Amino acid sequence: MCMWVLWAVIGRVGAGEAGRARAEDARVDQEVVRRMAGRDGDALAELYDRHARALYSFALHIVGEKAEAEDVVQEVFSQAWAQAPRYEARRGAVAAWLLTMTRSRAIDRLRARRARPDSEGAGEGQLRDLIDPSEPQDLGLLIREQVNRLRSALEGLPALQRVVVQMAYFEGLTQSEIAERLGEPLGTVKTRVRLALLKLREALAEPAG
Amino acid sequence: MSHEAVRELSGLYVLEALTPAELAEFQAHLEVCDVCRAEVAALRPVAVGLACAVPQVEPPATLRERVIRSATGRPVEARHSTASVVRKPTTRMAPWLLAAASLLAAVALGGYSLQLRARVTDLETRLQQAITQASLAERQIADARRTALDAQSQLAVLAAPDLVRIDLAGQTNAPAASARAFWSRSRGMVFTASNLPSLPAGRVYQLWVLTATGPPVSVGLLEPDQTGGLTAVFQTPPDIPPPTQVAVSDEPAGGVPSPTGMIWVAGTPAA
Repeated sequence: MCMWVLWAVIGRVGAGEAGRARAEDARVDQEVVRRMAGRDGDALAELYDRHARALYSFALHIVGEKAEAEDVVQEVFSQAWAQAPRYEARRGAVAAWLLTMTRSRAIDRLRARRARPDSEGAGEGQLRDLIDPSEPQDLGLLIREQVNRLRSALEGLPALQRVVVQMAYFEGLTQSEIAERLGEPLGTVKTRVRLALLKLREALAEPAG
Repeated sequence: MSHEAVRELSGLYVLEALTPAELAEFQAHLEVCDVCRAEVAALRPVAVGLACAVPQVEPPATLRERVIRSATGRPVEARHSTASVVRKPTTRMAPWLLAAASLLAAVALGGYSLQLRARVTDLETRLQQAITQASLAERQIADARRTALDAQSQLAVLAAPDLVRIDLAGQTNAPAASARAFWSRSRGMVFTASNLPSLPAGRVYQLWVLTATGPPVSVGLLEPDQTGGLTAVFQTPPDIPPPTQVAVSDEPAGGVPSPTGMIWVAGTPAA
């Protein structure tokens, strides 16, 4: 499992006042996890209150079913509770750690569902709409303004670039699965994903205002 | 693998979409390559951003207790971030005070009503402006939603487990044209084409699915852009027999129930 090491980058992304607020959020998260390591149940409740909405929304977007999204969230917090004593602050932001676990658990469920031949279409019908009027979740990692810019940038990508990013990230398909589906060479898939991410990165890095 | 070749994997690495073998190779390369390490560090916030950009949905209230109890095995205390219900102090005015207050209010209102009338006129004007702006904004949101719905149905089709791909070649009347159809019985068809010649007024392109057992089924009308390109998503009937061929013909404006015109692009499903 690769771990997102966001710390240094995020420090640069959010400058000024917002940046300090980010740093403070991240510091509180680290402190909460330290208390969880000391088996403080209230600390887990606090972690839940800080991040459950974002993790639930992310899981629901992937699995498309409320009951399954709830199961994912439960598993993630159980895992966080179990791993808290071994959690090292140097490994990166707590929120990124939680998001990684959430995606991994949710994608596992999607893959299991895809492997069951007669369950095709189960849980479909969930809107996967990235142009969304709701305020993006503030995880203390990126400022809302950046997430909003990212949403517009995503919509502005060429259709196939956007689709490969979404297939890889939200559907958990590997590059060969994507290549096979779209009838494109592997190299093209890799290049599309990388180009798309570089463009989205530019949108994140634009100075606010 | 060369540095350039490995570097191409950075996007998939950040999205955690590499196979274990690719992952091992990429991580080994990261150990020795500053350029790729820097690129990965720069791209990582995008993955976080994608996760945060999904529509936000409040989890059910019961989930909190379930999560905490199952992890810690302990009962749960009240929420941290939710403000406790604030009780307003209940004050009851004495009857005489109420009467005095309403008398005072009546006197004051006389003078105040003139000011109010001017203010109401001003507010009405501003409200009218706001309504105009709001309906414009609504239209823009509706447009954006349509784009998003298109994108999301495209993705749903392309990610379907029963996806069939059909490459369509330009016929002799349009050798430069080409198209590709992605069809899923459960989720519909994504159709993408390029270099379709522009048609004379009164004619439109219509997309057909040909099956082994029945007459051609109309999928829909195509509206290419100025370059003759388009990407569109269509619903297809769930009981349609497996396509043996997909083709585009030109037909009278509005389309027809069965094809009558020339075929421009056509193809059979990939084996």
